[in-house]
Amino acid sequence: MKKINVLFFGKLKELWNTNKLSLEIQCNDVDSLYSELLKTASEAPHKQSIKVAINDEFVEWDSSINNGDTIAFLPPASGG
Amino acid sequence: MFRISDKAINEIELKSQTLDPSAGGFACFEGWVRNHNQGKDVQKLAYEAYTKLAIKEGNKIIKEAHEKYEITKAFCTHRVGLLSIGDMAVWVGVSAAHRDAAFKACRYILDQVKSRVPIWKNESWTDGESGWVEQE
Repeated sequence: MKKINVLFFGKLKELWNTNKLSLEIQCNDVDSLYSELLKTASEAPHKQSIKVAINDEFVEWDSSINNGDTIAFLPPASGG
Repeated sequence: MFRISDKAINEIELKSQTLDPSAGGFACFEGWVRNHNQGKDVQKLAYEAYTKLAIKEGNKIIKEAHEKYEITKAFCTHRVGLLSIGDMAVWVGVSAAHRDAAFKACRYILDQVKSRVPIWKNESWTDGESGWVEQE
């Protein structure tokens, strides 16, 4: 098991009713973590429209998760 | 340099940082909160950022602008927090020896910031509703 933190931003924060989760997971990569999280928020968008970051760096969906990581899910930017 | 600010943007200070004796041109873009969007009357809005990643990505964009165009200095500041109609949301300024590079780099920085920097806009409309804005 790995202990991780998950951050949500923008509309994702509202879909999961929180901006941060502390979890113990068995998932090995970000893709499988998001698939698990989708089970708890049925209206959440598919991963195609989401970007993901680990420890404040953008990463690909097949990136592996390590104990202690902070994983952020980011909806499309709308600044400016 | 790219910055995130929770206070009003000081465009005079930013401009003075951007100007340089070797630069013959200065191009600037100021983005302001307008009172309508996508057919709705906007009352106010809030910007939220993933600050650490936003600063990294914003500075990466500034570096790209320096690599792509012959520019002297480039700065961009984006507001976060609660903003009212008429408040400045984003400021981009570029100095360069010649105007073409200054215009192009200014446009490049703004476009890239809007699409890549993790900042999100939540609008409050005059009908009492609010919602997260999708990029147009």
